[in-house]
Formats: sequence, structure tokens, C-alpha cells
Amino acid sequence: MPEDGNKIEVTDVSFSYDISEETEGKAPRLALDGISVSIEKGSYTAILGSNGSGKSTLAKIIDILEVPDSGKVVIFGKDAADDDLFWDIRSHCCCVFQNPDNQIVGTMVEEDVAFGPENLGVPNPELRERVDQALKDVGLYEYKHRETTALSGGQKQKLAIAGALAMRPDILILDEATAMLDPSSRDDFLTLVEKMRDEKGLTLITITHDMTEALRCDKIVIVHKGKAVMEGRPEEIFMHEDLWNYGLKRPVKYNFAFEVAKLAGGTLTEEDLKTDESLIDALTGMLSKPGIKAPEALPASEEKSGDDIIMSVKNLSYSYDGGDGKAIDDINLDIRKGEVLGIVGESGCGKTTLISHMNAIFRPAEGDVIIHTPEGDLSCKNKKDTLKVRQNVGLVFQYPEYQLFEETVFKDISYGLKKMNVSKQEATVMVRNAAYKVGLTEKELNSSPFELSGGQKRRAAMAGVLVMNPKILVLDEPASGLDPKGRQEMFGIIKNLRDSGTTIILVSHNMDEAAKNCDRICLINNGKIKAIGTPKELFETGRAEELKIQRPRITRFSGLLKEKLSKIYPSISFDDIYFDPAREANAIVTAVSKAGGQNDK
Amino acid sequence: MISKISLGRYYPAHSFLHDTDPRVKTILYAIYLVAIFMIKEPITIGVLTGVIILQLIMGKIKPSILWSTVKPMLPLALFIFVINIFTIRDGDVLFSWKIIMITTYGISRAAIMSIRLILLIISTSILLTLTTTPLKMSDALESLFKPLEVIKVPVHEMAMMMSIALRFIPTLALETDKIMKAQQSRGADYDTGSFINKIKGYITVLIPLFVSSFRRADELAVAMDARCYRGGKGRTKLNPLKLKARDVLTGIMFTLLAVLVVLIDFALR
Repeated sequence: MPEDGNKIEVTDVSFSYDISEETEGKAPRLALDGISVSIEKGSYTAILGSNGSGKSTLAKIIDILEVPDSGKVVIFGKDAADDDLFWDIRSHCCCVFQNPDNQIVGTMVEEDVAFGPENLGVPNPELRERVDQALKDVGLYEYKHRETTALSGGQKQKLAIAGALAMRPDILILDEATAMLDPSSRDDFLTLVEKMRDEKGLTLITITHDMTEALRCDKIVIVHKGKAVMEGRPEEIFMHEDLWNYGLKRPVKYNFAFEVAKLAGGTLTEEDLKTDESLIDALTGMLSKPGIKAPEALPASEEKSGDDIIMSVKNLSYSYDGGDGKAIDDINLDIRKGEVLGIVGESGCGKTTLISHMNAIFRPAEGDVIIHTPEGDLSCKNKKDTLKVRQNVGLVFQYPEYQLFEETVFKDISYGLKKMNVSKQEATVMVRNAAYKVGLTEKELNSSPFELSGGQKRRAAMAGVLVMNPKILVLDEPASGLDPKGRQEMFGIIKNLRDSGTTIILVSHNMDEAAKNCDRICLINNGKIKAIGTPKELFETGRAEELKIQRPRITRFSGLLKEKLSKIYPSISFDDIYFDPAREANAIVTAVSKAGGQNDK
Repeated sequence: MISKISLGRYYPAHSFLHDTDPRVKTILYAIYLVAIFMIKEPITIGVLTGVIILQLIMGKIKPSILWSTVKPMLPLALFIFVINIFTIRDGDVLFSWKIIMITTYGISRAAIMSIRLILLIISTSILLTLTTTPLKMSDALESLFKPLEVIKVPVHEMAMMMSIALRFIPTLALETDKIMKAQQSRGADYDTGSFINKIKGYITVLIPLFVSSFRRADELAVAMDARCYRGGKGRTKLNPLKLKARDVLTGIMFTLLAVLVVLIDFALR
């Protein structure tokens, strides 16, 4: 086969992290199992797959950070197996990884950017010129003498990009580089990367769990169990209905569009999926045909929360020592029994500070948090109530899997019970209950927490809080870092908890998920409550603009469709907005069928 | 809070001391370390304090920054003070009750001991940590110990390890804080109970911290690999150390000051 100088070619590559020889006849688990991928120079490719599918390993193989056990890797005509070309290939391919903290080597911004070219032996003054140029490109030039630890998450990832650009690479690989960023820094980051690609002609490869992010690429490769199972343009890939088998799903707007098409009795083609305009045109085309029948109404979701208040935050303020200004400022908030309350806001707005007060991890310095229980009110200010407060309010921080420490999952979950004076038998029952709630089986209970998969670890850590049977559960970004399937399962767990009567406070920066899963949403900005209300109230077109919040993707897209439809059916009225694609599709088709009937008259 | 630890923290500013060659500062630090331990007389201690205050001004270090460095060490200084007061029995007796005896000599000795400790901390901070970035400091050590490479000491690797360790202090401090809060929220208690219980409590922090440090080390190693790190060979430096006349003069001046102080001290005895 002639080697193509304009392609990254991975041919039949297998790789295993298990270096131990085959033990007891058991073959080592393969991270990559005969994968073949070919990527054009200058293209923009997304690699998708569930957690543990081998997509990160594939990236490492391309950057020859790992050497394949078998198979061939050729980067732009250079064979990776050739020892003489090793550094040449690696120096022209750069990676940006998920955790910003674990890839910064330098203490000062410019020192970190220089690390790569220093390793390449770039002499001064070219080195200085490269560093300054890279910092200017990503917009961090003014920060060059700052400490790296003082940067925000988004800035740290931009710093990583600068560090890569200073090496003057041909290939840039983003390994879930946006996973830990909030939506606005995420958009910012991707826009920057795409601009760099245009300016410098980079070949861009992005590994992501965000399906909408994958739409920005020219090509998608789906990796499953170490094999490339699908490959094609985004519109080709998302025509498939079996993505769920690979732990993936369609982007939200496609979900919605396919649902509308189904109800309207039409089918969407690849061509329709190409752009938002073509998709809207196709859908309006279907919906403007006469005789659209109203679909069967979906059962209304029951309103469970009453007016009983279970927790009140009163005039709560807090400032960190040495910090400028207040982290939270005069917060007043009543949490209703049985509701799911979403707390949203950008990174650093005070969300975490607020929830840390809810179970007295931070003792209120100004104001108070009162928990209303049948046995009387508990105050977070009162030291004597602390233990009771913590039994009533369970707090699960972001990435809770990092708190696991015991030998077995069972012991780890039961840790919180030690302080509660329960008998051994009772404890066993309580641990099993908690494990059941999060979907862990007996087998997992007896294994070490460090042997579990990422999603299982997270659930084990959640069970460690649930075991105390809290009436209120506070969750900080419970789904971050999980693949689409894992996210869905997590929200399934949350829904079940809610149905069994637990009040839930959900901190999130994902507007789609907040809108879909919360009864009320509280928007925090600069330590103050900017707005509170049902998702419908907050995400109405006018209101959302006034609050300067991004509306959920589904609302933005269906808004475009509604606009078009109002032109065709002047009498159409959309009484409600929904955040579940199926419900929103149902509502729109129903509205069209009503309006269509009136048009005929 | 634990994340407020200022040990090994760099204080970004533009000052005379910030611009001084880190090798000169490292050598000066060694000289002052010896000088501080050699002097005993109140007058010379006063003079040396003056010299150190001069260094503080030259490093443009704000009193608040200095205070945050010294504050955590005050209990230790106080402890040394108290131990010395009660154990030294020479000199004029000022106060005596049962076995407790406080003497004039005891007080002066105790004061000198604790002041020395504080001077030592201040000296470390201004000459090294506060005015020198960890990377420069490791550059300095690498350069100073370069001759040892002849006898196969991995000088570059050790310097790299040190600078990474310093870089991760704030990150790990933050992480410790997070883990403690997470464990507290499920009932861990680090403040009350017996000493043994407290120690046991910290296991719930240490194990996750170890696990996460290993994970970080792993990821950092991959990231460094990806940026083509392959040891010190063929590496260039963005800001190579250059010894200027000014650095040499600074070094000589402060060395002379230290020597002078020690000589006066000896003369006064």
C-alpha cells in the first residue's frame, strides 16, 4: 500500500494496558482491538464513544504516547514504528487533556508555554518569539507573568492550547478538553481552537461526550470496545438509530426533529440534517401539508411539590478571607418539600459556597440556614444541631468518587453510619438500601472502590451520602464527565429519589439538563440571586434575553421552527414550552393540527 | 484554612530582589542561615534584623504577605520561648515558685532563640520563595549543583522534581480542603474526640489524597511526554540565568554585611 503523505493512517492497531502476561488463560483486556482509522490532513474530526471505549487510547497512539502491540500507524507518510522519526512525529502532534491542573508544568504562565519548545531545543530569541505569539493567539498575553494556579478553568485550558501552539504542531488533539468547563467558556474555547485551525491549517481531532459539539466537525468516528464501528459526516452518523448501543445519542435538536417528523408522518434525509436551515425547512415542509393529525397526548407529568417549606436560607452572606468582595451576598431562598430545585450560574458565581452552607460545612457567619423537620427546626448556626443537620441534608460534591477510601464499597458506604449509633444489622440493611437506590449490586459492594468503573465509583460515593437517608439531597454537578448513557442513568437515579420523596437541590451549569429535570431554577450571578422560577418562566424568549442566560438548545431550535410555522399558520398558538424533546415535538404537532383545521375552514 | 498555606508561595512583583539572579540569592540564603545561628548579642541581632528589613524593602514585600508567612510559625516560636524560659536556670532569679524558676538570662536566651527562628523564616521567604519562582529556583539549584553531574548525580531530574512538587503545593492544598469537606458532609469529624480519633479521621483524607496524587502524577507524566520532555539533554531555556555585574555586587554587599555582623558579635562577647 503506498503511504499517503496527507493522511493519519491507523491500520489494524491493537493495544492493551495490561502488561502482565496472559494469566490463567485469560487474555489481557484490549483497549484497542484491531482499530483502523484514516484522517485527512487539515480535517476536523470528532472521536465519540462511551467511557472506556478506547477513544483516549486511540489519541495516545496517534501522538505515539503509547506504542501499539500490533498494527501500523503512519502519520503524514511517516511510519511511527521508525525510531528515527519518533521525536519528529511527536513534536508535530500536540494534546490538550481533560484536567487543566494535571497538564500545567510551569508556575508562571510564560514558563509553562515555553516548556514544550524548550524540550525541543528551540534557541532564543525564537523561543521568546514563539511564546509571545502563542500567548497573543489565545489572548493570555497580559497574563504572562501570572501564576498558573491563579487562572480560571477556561483560562487554564487556553494556556494548554498556547503551550501546544508554541510547539508549532500540525495536529492538535483535544482529549475531552472541554469536559470540565462551563458552557460559556466551552464555546469560547472551541471558537478559539477552530480559529487557530483556520489560521494555522491544523488537523484537529476532538474527543468528546457532547454530541452537539461533535456537529461542528467534518467527520465523526465512533469507537466502541476498541474498534471503529462507524465513520462518516455528522449528518450521516446521526441518521442512525442505534447510537444508544454505543452509549451515545443524537444531539438534542435531532432528537426533537426526528420526533416531529415521526408525528407528522414524514421522514428526514441526510440532506435535511446538514444545516439548521435545511432541517427547519424540511420540518416546516412536513408540517405545512394538510391533514396533520393531533398526536396522542402524553400523560402530564405530575406536580409533586407542595407548598411546605423544608429549608429556608435567610439573608446568607459569606466572604472568604483575603478574597475581594462577597462570595455570596444576602441570599434568601425557600426550598419546597419534594421539589427538584436547580441552582445555575457560571463558574465562580458562588454556587458551591451557597450549598456548602446547606449542611453546615460552612457555618453561616451572616444570616442562617434553617432546616424544617417534623421534630422542629434545625439551625446551621447552632453547633449542637450540626450532626442532625448533616443527617437531614446530604451533600454530594462534584467528582465525589475522589472521596472513596475504604477497602470495600460496602465499608465505604457505611462510613457515615459510624457516627449514628445504629446496630450492625440495621447498618447492613441501610447500606444495601442505599446501594439499591443507585443501582449497585452485591458484587460491587464486595469489591474495592478503586476497581470500579468511573460511573460506578460516582454512584458508590453517592450511596455513601444516601445511606444516612437524608430528606434533602444536594448534588453538585452529578453528571459531569459522564458519557451520554451515564448522564441519563444519573438523572434516572435522581428522578427515582425524587419520586420516593427526597427533596433535591441540583447544581448545574448545563441549561439543557437543568431545564429538563428541575421544577424550579434559581439563577445566581455574582453571589446574588438574579432570578428564580420554573424553567418555563425563566427560558421564555424575552425573559432569557433580559437575564442574559443561554436558553436550552432544544428551546432555541424549536423557537426557530415555531417562528417559521407562525408565518404559515397565522392563527397558531403555542400555549406552552417543554424541555423534553418528545413533549415539545408533541406540543408543536398538536398546535399545528389545531391551526391547520382552522386554516381549512 | 489549609489552602492558605503560604509555604513555597511565590509573590509576583517587580523588585530589585525579584530580578536578582536566583543563584546569588540561594548562596546568600545559605550565608544568612549560618549568620543567624552564629550571633548571640542583642545588638547584633538588631543590626541583622535591620539588614533583613532592608532586604524586605528591596523585595517590595508587603507587610500583609510577610505576616501570612510568619503567622503559622508563631506557635512554634512561642513554644521555643516557653521551653527556654523554664529550663534555663542561670542568671538572676526574677520569679520562683516551687520548681518553676524564671531568670533574666533565661528570658534573654528564650527571646533570642525565638527571634532567630522568625528571622530564619523571613530570610527564607524573602530570599527564596517569595521573590523566586519555583522554576527559577530549580534552575538555580541545577546550575549550582551542575558539577555533581560528573559523579553521576541526576541534577536536572532532581531540580525538575522539586519544581513540580512546588508547583503542585497549592493544587494539593485545595484538593485536601475539598476532600475534608466531602468527608465532613458524611459525618467525619476532625475537630473533636481523642487524639487517636483525630488521627484516624485523617486517614479518610490521606487515602483519597494519595490516590488522587498518583492519578495526577500519571496524567502529568503523559502530558509532559506529549510535550516532548526527555530529560535535560538538548533543552533550551526561555529565561536563561545570566549573571550580571549587579548580581555580583548585590551578593558581595550582603555577604559583607553578614560577615560584619558576625564579627561585631564575636567582638562583643
